Order: sequence, then C-alpha cells, then structure tokens
Amino acid sequence: MTGDTPILRTVARFAVPLTAGVSVIIFLQGHNLPGGGFIAGVMAAGAGAMYLLAFGVAKAARIRWWKVSVVGLLISVLTGTGALLAGRSYMDHEIWHFHLPIVGEYELPTATFFDLGVYLIVLGTLMTIFVEMAQEEGR
Amino acid sequence: MPQLELVLPAVVFAPFAAAALALWVGKFAGQRTGVLMVLAAAGSFLGCLQLAAAGTPVGFVREWIPSLTVSLSLRADPFGLFFALLISGIGTLVGIYALGYMPALAPRRLGQFYAALLAFMGAMLGVALSDDLILLFVFWEATSVTSFILIGFWYEQEEGRKGAWTALQVTALGGMVMLAGFILVGLTCGTYSLQQLTQSRELQARLAESSAFVPALLLILAGALTKSAQWPFHFWLPRAMVAPTPVSTYLHAATMVKAGIFLLGRMLPLFGAAWLWTPVLLPIGLATFLLGAYQALTATDLKAILARSTVSTLGLFTAIYGMATPEQDALGIFAHATYKGALFLIAGIVEHATHTRDIRQLGGLRHRMPVTFTLAVIAAASMAGFYPLLGFHAKEAYYESLLHAPLLAGSGLQAAVIVLSVVANALIFAAAVRFVAGIFLGKPSEHVGHAHEASPVLWGPPAILAGLALVMGLLAPTTEHLANAFSSHLGASIHVAFVPAPGWPLALSAITTGLGILFFWARAGLDALRGWRPAWLSTEYLWDAAMAGVVAGATAFSSRWQSGSLRWYLSGTLMFTVGLSGLALWHGGLSLRDVVVHFEEMQWYGVALCAMLTASAVMVVRSRTRIGAALALTANGFLTAALFVVYRSPDILLTQILIESVSTIFILLVLYFMPPFRIDGFSPMRKAFHVALSLAVGVCIFTFIMFSTSPAFRETHNLAADYLTRSLADAGGANAVNVIIVDFRAIDTNAEITVLMVVGLLVYGLLRSRRRSP
Repeated sequence: MTGDTPILRTVARFAVPLTAGVSVIIFLQGHNLPGGGFIAGVMAAGAGAMYLLAFGVAKAARIRWWKVSVVGLLISVLTGTGALLAGRSYMDHEIWHFHLPIVGEYELPTATFFDLGVYLIVLGTLMTIFVEMAQEEGR
Repeated sequence: MPQLELVLPAVVFAPFAAAALALWVGKFAGQRTGVLMVLAAAGSFLGCLQLAAAGTPVGFVREWIPSLTVSLSLRADPFGLFFALLISGIGTLVGIYALGYMPALAPRRLGQFYAALLAFMGAMLGVALSDDLILLFVFWEATSVTSFILIGFWYEQEEGRKGAWTALQVTALGGMVMLAGFILVGLTCGTYSLQQLTQSRELQARLAESSAFVPALLLILAGALTKSAQWPFHFWLPRAMVAPTPVSTYLHAATMVKAGIFLLGRMLPLFGAAWLWTPVLLPIGLATFLLGAYQALTATDLKAILARSTVSTLGLFTAIYGMATPEQDALGIFAHATYKGALFLIAGIVEHATHTRDIRQLGGLRHRMPVTFTLAVIAAASMAGFYPLLGFHAKEAYYESLLHAPLLAGSGLQAAVIVLSVVANALIFAAAVRFVAGIFLGKPSEHVGHAHEASPVLWGPPAILAGLALVMGLLAPTTEHLANAFSSHLGASIHVAFVPAPGWPLALSAITTGLGILFFWARAGLDALRGWRPAWLSTEYLWDAAMAGVVAGATAFSSRWQSGSLRWYLSGTLMFTVGLSGLALWHGGLSLRDVVVHFEEMQWYGVALCAMLTASAVMVVRSRTRIGAALALTANGFLTAALFVVYRSPDILLTQILIESVSTIFILLVLYFMPPFRIDGFSPMRKAFHVALSLAVGVCIFTFIMFSTSPAFRETHNLAADYLTRSLADAGGANAVNVIIVDFRAIDTNAEITVLMVVGLLVYGLLRSRRRSP
C-alpha cells in the first residue's frame, strides 16, 4: 500500500512538516491549553505515518524508532528520579521560573520533561509498529 | 578496637570485590586469575586469625532496614570464626589446586569461574559471620546461586545443567522455606539478632510459648536439611559431582554442605529444648548416616563414593545436634573437612592422570604416584578412623557422647542408636579402604598405563590437609583445647587423649574396625542388596517427577490461557471488566433503575448523533467484510468525537480524533495479514455468548458513566472539583487533564508508558525475528 502516488507525495510535502509543527505546539501548550505529550505524540506519529505512506518504508525506517521510545522512557524516569535525589518523593514535580530577555517571565514545570518522555515514547512506539508492519507487507 | 571491628566486614566483603575484579581481570589473565582467589582467601584467613586472636567476640553493626529491625550485623563468635577459618583456609588451598587443575579454556570463562568461586567464598563467610537472620538468609541464598553457576560450569553437557539445576531447586527452595521460619522467629521475638536470640532466656521463653514455635522450627530445619543434603533431599549432592573437582572439594566436602549443619548448631540453643527437635533430627540424621555410608561403599565413581560418604557424615552431624550433644562439633567438622577435602583433591589428581573416575577401571597406581598414594593413605586412614589420626579422635568423641547423652541414657533407644552408628561407621571404614585399595593397590589396569605423578601445585594442597589430619591427631592436647574453644557449645569440655583410655568408646572403635574389614570383604554381597528397591521408590525419582509435573502443569495452563486467539483474550479482558464494575455497582447497591435520564434536556443534534452512532455500531456488527467493519468502526469513532464537540470538551475531542486517525491507519496496515473473515462459522452458543458479553459491557459502562455524571454523585464524591482547583495552584497548569497525567498521577503514567514502550519493542523483536527466519 506504499505505492507511488504523486498526489499524496505533493500533499505530504506540506502536510507532514505542518502536522509535525502543530504537534510540537500542542505539546508545548499542553500544560495550560488542550494538548499534552500523549496526543502530541499521536499527532506526530500521524505525520510519520503520512510520510511513510507517501515516501516509502525505507525512508521512514532510517530512524530506529524503538530507540526514540527508549530515550523517552529514560527522560521520564530520570525526571522522577531527580526529585528522589533532591530528597523528595519520586515524581514530585516543581515549577522553575525563568526571566527570559524577550518573552519575559517564563514558567517551566519539570512535569514538561516528563511529558516530553511521554511524547517520545508514544511517537517511537507507534512508528516502530507502523514501520515494522509496513516492512512486513513489502515482503 | 575500631580497626578490629572493620576487619570483620573486610573479611566478608573483600571476596565479593575480588570477584568483581576477577570478572574483569579474567579477560586478560585467564588461568592466572586464580592467584586473585588465593590472595583473597589467604587475606580473609589472616583477617579471621586476627579476629580469633582478639579473644572476645568482635561485632560489627550498621543500620540496614531499621523499619523491619533488620540490620547489617556481623559477629565473630568462636563457632562462626571456626567456620570462617575453615572456609578461607580451604579456599586458599583450593585456589592453589585450581591453578594446576583447571584446563586451558577461554580466558573469559576462567575469569567467570574464579569470580563465581570468590563470590561463593564471600557468601559462605557471610553465612558464618552473620549475626542477623535476614542477612544470613541473603548470604545463604547467595551460596545457592553461586554454587549453581559453579556446578553448571560444564554447561555444554546435559549432566552439568541437570546437576546444577537440581542443586538450585533443592537448596534455594529450602532457603526460602527457611526465610519464612526466620520471619516467624523475628516477628515473635522482635529481633533478628542471633546473639540476642541465643542468649536471652526471656526471648526463648516467649518463642517457646507462641504458636509460631513449631512452624518456625520445622521451616528452619527444612532449610538446614536441604542444604546439608539430608535424606530425603540427599540426591542433589551426588548429582552436583559434575562440577570441576576444586568446586566439589570446596562446596561439597568442606563448606557449603556444612552450612546446614552450621545452622543446626546456631539454632540448637534456641530450639534444642523443643520436643520436636530430637524426633525430627535424630531419625533423619541416622537414616542419612546409614544410607549414605552404604551407597558410598557400593558406588563406582570416585567422586560419587566421596559424595555419598559426605552425605553420610553430614547425617552423623545432624544426629549429633539432634541428640543435643554439640560439644564435639568443631572436632568432627574439622576432621571431616581435612580428610574429605584431601580425598576429593586426590580423586581429581587421579582423574587428571588416568582420565577416568571409575574405580573398577583403576588400580595399581601406588608405584606410579607414590606421593599421592601416601597422602591418600593418610586421609583415608583418618576417614576410616585409624589411630592416631584426627578421624579417630572424632569417632571416639562421638561414641563417648552416645554413651553419655542425657537424652538417650539408659533407654532402649540408646542401644539402637549405638548399633546403627557402629554399622554406619564400619561401612564408612570399608568405603575408605576400598577407595585406597581400588585406586592404588592391585595390578595396574590398562587405564593407568601412562599415568605419572602430579605436580606439587596439585598434591601440595591435599598434602597440607592430610598433614593437618595427622599432626592434629598427634598433638592431642592442642586439639582438645581448640576443639573446645571453637565448639558451638560454650564451655565445651571434651577429652582428646593421645593414649586412648580403655573403655566402651575404644571397644566400639575396635568393633567398628572389625566389622569394617568384614564389610570390605563382603562388599560384593552388599552391592547385590541394591536391587530390592523399585526405581520409582526413591526421593530422587519422586522429586524429578514432581518437577516435571510442575513444568507440565505450567505448560498446560499457559497453552490453555495463552491460546493465541485474540477473541479469547478480548473476551477475557471484557469479562474481567464487567465482573469488576458489576461487583462495584452491586456493592454500592446501584443498578440501571437509579440512573436519572432527563429526556427534556436533549436537543435535536444530540438525538441525531446518537442515532448515527447506533447505526454505525450496527454496521460494524452486520458487515460481511473486514474492511467494511473497519470503516464503520472509524465512522463510529468520529461520530463520538462529534459528541465531544457538542459537550465542549476540546482536549478529549482532539485526542479522540487523533486516536481515530492513527488507529484507522493501523487497521489498514494489519488488514493485509488478517485471516479470512468468517463470522458465520460460529456456533449459535458462541454467538449468544458474544451477544451476552457485549450487552453486559454496554450496560455496565453506560451505568457507570451515567452515575459519574449525575448531580447526586458529583455532590458526594467530587474528585473532579478537587483536581480542578488544585491543578493550577499545586502544579502550575490550567489544563487539568494534562496535569493529572503528568503530575498528580505521574507514577501511573510512568507505568503505562513503560508498557507502551515494551509493546513497541516486542512488536519490533517478533516481526524482525520472523522476517529473518525463512
């Protein structure tokens, strides 16, 4: 089903970066507005699937997606462990306040790092399955 | 003395550090890694000597798990120190021997071998020197695990794997049972400290009065008896003889199998007064003593002879503790360790020289291997109990205690125990004579044709052990002093005389010798006795059958439940969901009747959406093709998303749309691999089951959702309001859904994403391996 389709390819050239970009925005705004690591990850995987369908499995398989999910889990677990090392309970989050030059006062909850892990795991796992399934089909 | 206090943990933990080093060094050094073993063992030995020289018991206590009153507590009392000296001393000799014995293998593998041997030594020292029962258990199981690695050294061979596996099954299971006993003791007495338990009369009285007393006793005995290969758990030890000879010497003659005996010695003050103690231990000990001695005489493999006689002697020690006559334990254990260690090493030398261990194929080696022959004669003489060797004194002390044991005195039981002991000792005598005669005397067989004397690296260690058996036998006053000082019984006062006093013990020794010579001549006749027992009537057979049964049961269970049918899995999951939620509803006294539905609030678009949802659901079920069902399911999902538009829940709407898109892609990808869609093939019964299950799921979920959104529920159990108010204040996020996921319930999420990642890895691994294999 990964046939050579010019229409899909033309659309994908715009749609894939657009979807990926939106997924990043959705991820970043997740703490206060609709969004978050999980759905942003699913959306990024949707972009990945579109890329796979338009440009073929071989190109999509250039990234070892399972490694992405492993990195994600590491980030999540390490975020939780940070609190443990600071003497508080596991997964106890806090909020960091920054004073940035242009943006002004900026809040960064450590939960965002945890959410980044979720994002990467969802993206990595879904893409692993997609790529493996598609390769299976090409056999 | 603060320095002396630190010697204690150094003695126990230095071997573990050396083991880690050996793993690394072994990659380059190979066989020479053994030097590390010798150095570590000698270091521990010197440390133990320093502790012994201190005179008073040294203790080392650090907090470990204070909430459970478990501490990292070591203590060098005389009996523990005696064991530690034995372990590190023989460890040094075995390390030297292994340098000459181990064949040239891959360096990495030899490194692993020495690492396991070092770790074993550390664990064994830990068992000997632990004061805390839980710590003792940890070291105890560590010896089981490391001995598994060591016994299974020749893992390419079926026998090697089997022997290691059986040993681990029996000893590790016994250890876990023992842990349960320890915990019962700890809970009853409020402490795991051996020192407190064995010295405080008050704690002992409290334990004796509690209902946990008998279970704790039996559980702990199970641990001791499995470790020391007592009947009916004796079979693992002969099987473990597949190990390299240094391992057999170290684990199965000198140290590990004595851990059970050691534990009995430790527990005697605590449980010795119990009425169950003697009735359990004395019969088991004597039965093992006799059975092992008989099997030692009839076995044909050199190491099997020694293993069986070891089982026998361990039975003797069990009986000694069973009779509560522990004064002689240090003497007996030391005597056994010296001669049996030497004999095992000699068996290894003989195997090295002749490439066989079958005593029927050996003979006449005395001229070719004079040094080994001399050592074998000394060690076997000690085993047989010849004057003036150490074995003789140990046997005398045993007979002496039989005559005066308070538990036996004057009863008919006493005579029976004496007769059984003399017969068993005579069998051991005959086995010792046969060992020497079979290997070294007679005419040289064709197997010994090219045999030659071993190098000093090989005969040195047994020479030291045999020398100890001889010298300690001659230096009777020193032996007496040391035996009393290191006994588990404080203030022991056994007598070891250079010139034995005439009396009953000496007479019994004479009878033993006479009977032993008789048994040696009549050994062919004794051998014939073996045939009376059917093969299935051995604990070895029953154990194997039980283990095979466990595997068969697990296989049957797995193949029934993990049938590979997705419908079966889904049905199971749904049944569980319905069962659990149904139970919750029933527990809360709720049913469909309590659901409040306000039809007047519904709008035309709500009705229209619900009608379309229902229609798409019907289409899923009625579809004749899989792709049709998939498309209908997708339609159903997007209509559900529309429902969230109506109810203004943007976050869930977004999720729903994305999930629907991705799962549609997913379904289309897997569609290609699905088997033919044959929904008509189901029996009416099965269809009815599916319908009933679906209905139950629908009703349960519907009821649940209606309840959780009903005003009555919101007023009483308002979790949502709690989360909504705390979301911004506590976690700095206005999106409560996200805050719940990443902050309030972060640990749940953590587990979920781990599962997700593992699923991805599994799909990757399964599909890859399937593609690679043709």
